Amino acid sequence: MDKMPHAPIAGANYLANTKNYPWHRPPDIVDYDEGVDYILTKLKEPEQQEMIFALMEIDTHVSTIVSSLILQSISKGKFATDLGVLMAGPIARYISIIADAEDIKYNMGTSDDGRAKVTPTSLKVAMGIMDEDDEPPAPKPMPQEPDIPEGGLMGKPTPDEMMTASDQEQAAMLGMTQEEEEQPNGMA
Amino acid sequence: MKIEVAVRKSIKNFMSGKLPEKTGGMKEEGLFYTPEFFDALEDKLVGKVKEKEEVDG
Repeated sequence: MDKMPHAPIAGANYLANTKNYPWHRPPDIVDYDEGVDYILTKLKEPEQQEMIFALMEIDTHVSTIVSSLILQSISKGKFATDLGVLMAGPIARYISIIADAEDIKYNMGTSDDGRAKVTPTSLKVAMGIMDEDDEPPAPKPMPQEPDIPEGGLMGKPTPDEMMTASDQEQAAMLGMTQEEEEQPNGMA
Repeated sequence: MKIEVAVRKSIKNFMSGKLPEKTGGMKEEGLFYTPEFFDALEDKLVGKVKEKEEVDG
């Protein structure tokens, strides 16, 4: 009994209820135009528009907003994932139009500006196959340490302010003196 | 492929005027929400705002 396998029990899927979640059941909408119509109707609600405009004001990409709208509807079982992806274009276009009408600046988030370009050198570095004639990457410049101000409570002490204990004081601190302290109860 | 990447590609395609051909082919009358529909909607909505601004200004 101590070696129980951590795997699904064979045949458990035949007994499980596969209708637990909305996306397990057939979707409500299977038509492209009907699906776009459903989302656009939702977007006409003032609460939804306020939320979308607020997201765009904080530089959220339109593609991110569209993704979240689609995922929300998929999780409710309104339409399947593939239809949701097909509907992304019209939804994004509609959001851009209402943003233009409200004079709100937005970023579609479809450009590849933030993507790192793949070059032969970057591939070689990633695979660890640098040639002898390849120049090693230049070392990164070390950040300069800021000057520590002298004086003041938190400042660096000057040589005059440096205090070291004398040999006798150090010996006393280490308990290496020959004088024996008198015990208060006379047990010495 | 992550759904976010698929959504970005889908938006890019729609913005460049491409439509899901097979989905459109399933309907005799074709798709309703086309780039042309949204162009007309943009003229209507944004044009209305501009007209209002001119009247106010």
